[in-house]
Amino acid sequence: MAGAGIINTNQVVYRPRVVVVGLASCFGCQLQITNIESHLMELLGQIDLTYWQLASSDPMPQYFDVAIIEGAVTTQESVETVRTLRRKADTLIAIGACATTGGIPGMAGGSLGLADRAAEVYEKGSLPEACGEMCVPRPISSVVKVDAEVRCCPIDSYDFVKTLHRLVYGSNRAQLTSTLCGECKRNETTCFYAEGTLCLGLITRSGCGARCVNLGRPCNGCAGLSPDANVDSARDACVRYGVSVERFDKALEMFNQFELDAVLEQEQAQKAQDKDEATTNQASSEADASDTGSRG
Amino acid sequence: MTRTGEDMLYRVIEAKELPALVSAFMESYEVVAPVKSGSAYTFEAVSSFDEIELNYPTTIASPKKYFLPPKETLLEYDATTNQVTNFAAEITPRVIFGAHACDINALNRLDLVFRDGRYPDPYYIARRKATLVVGVSCMPTETCFCHLWDSDEARFGYDLFLQDIGGKYLVSISSVEAANILEAACNPREATDEERIEFRHVTRKRQASFNKDIPDIQEVAMLMDAFHSDPFWEELGKRCLSCTACSAVCPTCFCFDIQDTLDPDGKKGHRERVWDACTSPQFALVAGGHNFRPDGRNRVRHRMYHKLNGFLANHNHMLCVGCGRCVKACKANINPIEVLKFFERKGAEDAE
Repeated sequence: MAGAGIINTNQVVYRPRVVVVGLASCFGCQLQITNIESHLMELLGQIDLTYWQLASSDPMPQYFDVAIIEGAVTTQESVETVRTLRRKADTLIAIGACATTGGIPGMAGGSLGLADRAAEVYEKGSLPEACGEMCVPRPISSVVKVDAEVRCCPIDSYDFVKTLHRLVYGSNRAQLTSTLCGECKRNETTCFYAEGTLCLGLITRSGCGARCVNLGRPCNGCAGLSPDANVDSARDACVRYGVSVERFDKALEMFNQFELDAVLEQEQAQKAQDKDEATTNQASSEADASDTGSRG
Repeated sequence: MTRTGEDMLYRVIEAKELPALVSAFMESYEVVAPVKSGSAYTFEAVSSFDEIELNYPTTIASPKKYFLPPKETLLEYDATTNQVTNFAAEITPRVIFGAHACDINALNRLDLVFRDGRYPDPYYIARRKATLVVGVSCMPTETCFCHLWDSDEARFGYDLFLQDIGGKYLVSISSVEAANILEAACNPREATDEERIEFRHVTRKRQASFNKDIPDIQEVAMLMDAFHSDPFWEELGKRCLSCTACSAVCPTCFCFDIQDTLDPDGKKGHRERVWDACTSPQFALVAGGHNFRPDGRNRVRHRMYHKLNGFLANHNHMLCVGCGRCVKACKANINPIEVLKFFERKGAEDAE
């Protein structure tokens, strides 16, 4: 797919067929596409937009090249939708916090468990049919391979265009994983930690330009944890600056519950494995001892 | 910036003459100066003298941004014809009013790289030429250690330097351009013997005011090599948050990336130079997917090496000027002072 739309002397050789699909979300990120406003027609000139419920009731076509997915996967039905989209599309783009981290729907995961969470909302045994066969809300990337992600809640319109360009025309630009604080320093905004205020910039992926901080609000982590996030060091920083670590951990849940659960699961698996190994080692050392004994 | 002659000129002006000097600069230049911003200070363009906080302790970031902008367009292109359509830099004639000695020394370091190096950078040079630098004396904050790297005094690299001697300023004059404006706006006069004594007095006071908890270590560059494999770097590096705040506030970090970005129409685009940082996880990632510095230990050590060892070998100066900004910016407490304290601990262990 990459490079398929390369321009040749003012003539677009090939316009990729694009579908836009919404899963569990507020549709705000799809709206952000329309918010490109003055550039919207320019963008539409570069693609063949064949399916978008927000703009047309036409059904999804059989064949397409690029699938753009907004929203979290929350049901078995949406798991199937995502798998189908992956099978059909050469390129799959996840847009927005819900699709890239599980986002706000993702909060339904966590230690309480999905069934109990649902019971908090609906009377026991009266789950509406519309809920479908629910699963723990999750990002697209946990179901299928994703070629590109446009992060944040909501997405930045131009970030979306850049990502589409990257995939349609090709690009070798590195996708950065540095965390947010560097952007605040480039913006020369004062750090919330200096006044003992919690901010999730310490571990959140950069790229948004720290726009919440520019507007006077701490980062709430909508871009998701950076793959290089150093959560332990960030907790130490909280202690140093008089910010409650408990509140830091709690705040992380808003956009990172799915990943936190995954990390927890890994840690538990690791612990169980360590325990198994310890037991095995103990058993084998006892066996060694008895061997020695028998030889002695 | 042209030197007026063999000898530096010194004149005295009254503090109350400063507004007239700033106004005179404003007639032909954009004036940028330290201003209050929340609980901190930043260099910003000002429209009147009253906005300027000349007694500022330090700023969040340095005036580096006026010579090496965080993001600058190097050229514009047309992707449909594969042609460069424009490569003119936007240059604003500017006065940086109120730079501390550390920042002037930092500019002199950047000159070594972008102006005097093997590949002079036309964008940097154009901005440097179009900018007058007016320095101002300062008193050290608790995170300042410029004196350790010989950066507490600016010997060159400015047009005027204002030394506060109590209600008046001893002005070092280093360019004809600035001298003419000073002459026209103020009443510069010869310094009296009392004023010369007062200059020595405030200089000594500054020298005595540095934070004594910051260890003064000899042969730092050599020690960097001696302790290259010490577990200290793992301790320091594993704290790194990978945020690149350190290099964003550093007055001498100059690494950059170059990126092409298409306009939304997909036809025209621009090539941008953006600040990069060796503490960014992707900084040493190369084609084929290998990352030469894949973890905090390697990245943090590399950054400290460039600041406290590597630049010295090539340019005879520490790259670090001891401005102390990274000490405040890094939420993981990684900074050159921590390195100096490590060397101090090592010295104490050896003495045992």
